[in-house]
Amino acid sequence: MAIHEVLTLDFFIASLAITMRIAPTILIASMGELITEKSGVLNLGVEGIMLLGAFTAFVVSFITGNPWMGALSAMLVGMLIGMVFGVLTVYGGVNQVVVGLGIWLAGFGLSDVLYRIFFREVASPTVNTIGVMPIPVLSDIPIIGPILFNHNPLVYLSLLLVPAVALFLKRTNLGMRIRAVGENPRAADSMGINVYRTRMIAVLIGSMLAGLGGAYFTTAFLSSYVLNITFGRGFIALAMIYFGNWNPYRALIPILIFNYVDSLQLGLQSVGVGIKYYFLNMLPWITVIALIPIFGRKAQAPAALLQPYRRAG
Amino acid sequence: MQPQRILRLTVFNVLAALIGLAAGLVVVAATGADVGFALNILIFYPFSDAYNIGEIFVWFTALLIISLGIGFALRANLWNVGGEGQFLIGSIMSMIGWKALGGYGIPPPIMIVLMLLSAALGGVAWVAVPAILKAKFGSNEIVVTLLLNLVAVGMLFWALDGPIRGRFSAGYLISDVIPPELRLPLLIPETRLSVAVFIALALVVVMYILAERTHFGLAVKAVGKNPEAARYAGISIPKITVLSLLIAGALAGLAGGLHVMGVLYRMDAGYAETGFGYIAIVVAMLGAAHPIGILFSSFFFSYIMIGAQAMQRAVQVPFPLVYAIIGIMLVSLTISQYLVRRERVISWPFTRS
Repeated sequence: MAIHEVLTLDFFIASLAITMRIAPTILIASMGELITEKSGVLNLGVEGIMLLGAFTAFVVSFITGNPWMGALSAMLVGMLIGMVFGVLTVYGGVNQVVVGLGIWLAGFGLSDVLYRIFFREVASPTVNTIGVMPIPVLSDIPIIGPILFNHNPLVYLSLLLVPAVALFLKRTNLGMRIRAVGENPRAADSMGINVYRTRMIAVLIGSMLAGLGGAYFTTAFLSSYVLNITFGRGFIALAMIYFGNWNPYRALIPILIFNYVDSLQLGLQSVGVGIKYYFLNMLPWITVIALIPIFGRKAQAPAALLQPYRRAG
Repeated sequence: MQPQRILRLTVFNVLAALIGLAAGLVVVAATGADVGFALNILIFYPFSDAYNIGEIFVWFTALLIISLGIGFALRANLWNVGGEGQFLIGSIMSMIGWKALGGYGIPPPIMIVLMLLSAALGGVAWVAVPAILKAKFGSNEIVVTLLLNLVAVGMLFWALDGPIRGRFSAGYLISDVIPPELRLPLLIPETRLSVAVFIALALVVVMYILAERTHFGLAVKAVGKNPEAARYAGISIPKITVLSLLIAGALAGLAGGLHVMGVLYRMDAGYAETGFGYIAIVVAMLGAAHPIGILFSSFFFSYIMIGAQAMQRAVQVPFPLVYAIIGIMLVSLTISQYLVRRERVISWPFTRS
C-alpha cells in the first residue's frame, strides 16, 4: 500500500488508541522511578525489574488464570529486587550504577532462561489478559471515545498515576521528605529525617511500579510471552524522567510522543507501506535521541542524585 | 598502586566473579542437568585442544580492545554501555570500506589498514552522538549509548540488505565473504586466532601510556575523581567527556573490524548477538579500569566464556544464562568489596587516589 492510502482518519484514531494502550508500560515504570530519583537514588535496573515483572506476571497468571494476581506478584517481585538494590546502594552506599547495570543484565538473562525452563513442555503458552472496560457515555464520543475511554483499567490507572505522583511528592509528608533527601540529605538529616529509610521507601515504591510496568506487557497488552519483552523500555523510562525534568506532568508529553511513534511504526509495519521493517524498528529509539536537544535543554537533576549518603561522625 | 592494594583488589574481584558463576550453576541445577558434568566442561573444555585455546584468544582479542576503551572512559566516570553497538557498526564499516574501495586496485596491506580505519571511525561516529549530547545537554550517556545499540541492530539488517549484501545470499541476510588477501593472517593454523591478538596487546601498552603517562590521561582521571576540582584547575569537562568517549568508541569499532577481518570474514543476522560489548563492561570493571588489570580480566573472562558457552551447549541452557551470570557478578562485585573494605562508599581506584 502506498503511504498516502494508509494515512486515513481511521488509521490515526487507531494509532492514537494503541498509543494509549501501550503507554502504561513506560508510564508506570517512569512514575515509579521518578519517585526513586527524587530521593537521590538512580535505579538503572528498571529494565531488569520490568523483565522479571513481565515474566513473573506471565507465570502467575498462567497458573492462576487471573491476570490481576499476575500483576500483583510482579509488584512483589519488583519490591524484592528493590530491597536488594536499596540495601546495597542506600544502606551499603555502593555504586548505584554498578548494581543497577547488574540487575538489568541479571533480569535480562534470568527472565529468558527461566521462561524457557518453566515452559519447556508447553508449546506457545497464552494467558488471560485484563479485559477492556469502556467508560459509559464517554466511550461513545466520536474520535475521543475510542482513543481515551475504551481501554483496560490499567490504562486509566496509569494516567491517574501522573497527578497522584505529583500530589504525593508535593503535598504529602513522605513526599516532601523524599524531595528533601534528594536535594540536600545532610540538611534533611539535621532536621530529623531518616535519610536511609526515606530513600529505601522511595526505592521500594519505584521498583514496585517498575514490576507493574513490566507486568503490563503480559497481563494487559499481550497474551503470550516474547523473550526480552520490554526491549529497552526500562531505559526509555529513565530518559523520559530526564525529558520531563523530574516533573510527572512534564514527563507525560515525551512519554506519549514516544509511544505514539512506537504505535505508528507498529501500525505501518502491519499494513506494509514499503518502508523497510528495520527502519521502522529504529524509529522509536531515534525519536528519543532526537528529543534530547528539545527536552533536555534545561533539565536539572535532584542535587544529590547518585550520591550515597554517609552520616558525618 | 601499592602491591598490597592490587592483591586485595584481585582477591575481591575473583571472589565476585566466582559468586556469579556459582549462581549460574544454581540455574543449571534448576534445569535438572548434572552439575558435576557442567562444572567439568566449564573448567576443562577451554584447554582441551588447540582450537579451543585459539577460541579463548579470539574472545580475548575482542574483549580486551573493547574493555580498554570502556575502562578509559570509566576513568572519567563515563559509562559507555554502547560497546555492543559500536562493535557492530565497526564491523559493518570495515565491510563497507572494503566494498567502497575494493575496485581501485589498492594493494591489500593498505586496504587492510583502510578497512580497520573505517571500522574505528564507525565506532567513533556511533559514540559521538551520546558524547556530544552528554557534553551539551547533560543527557545520561548510559541511556543514549544503550539506545544506540538497538539502532545498531537495525543498521546491521540495513547493511545486510543493502551495501554489504552477499551476491549469493538468495534472500537470506548474509554478506559477501572477505577475500583471502584482505583477511588478517592466522597465527596458528586450524584455529581462528589471527594476528589481531598482537594489535590488542600493543593497545594495552598504548592505553597504559595514554592513561597514566600523559597530561590528557591525568586530566581524564582528575575529572573522574573530582569534577569540581578539575574544573577549578582549568580542565574543560565537556572536552574530556567527548574525547574519552570517542576513544572508547574508536576501540570498540576497531575490535569489530578485527573480528570480521580476522575471525568470521562475513556477517549475518546472528552477528547482532555476540554480547562482547556488554561483557566488556564487566571486564573493564573487574580490571579496575586499569589497562594492566583489564589485560588479566580479559583473559580470565575469555577463558570463562569459552567454558560457559560449551557448558551451555552441553547441558542445553539458553545463552542468556551468560548475561544472568555477569549481572550477578556485577552485583556481587559491589558486595564483596563492601564486605572486605568495610567502607560505606565503595570508590573505585579511578575515583580515589
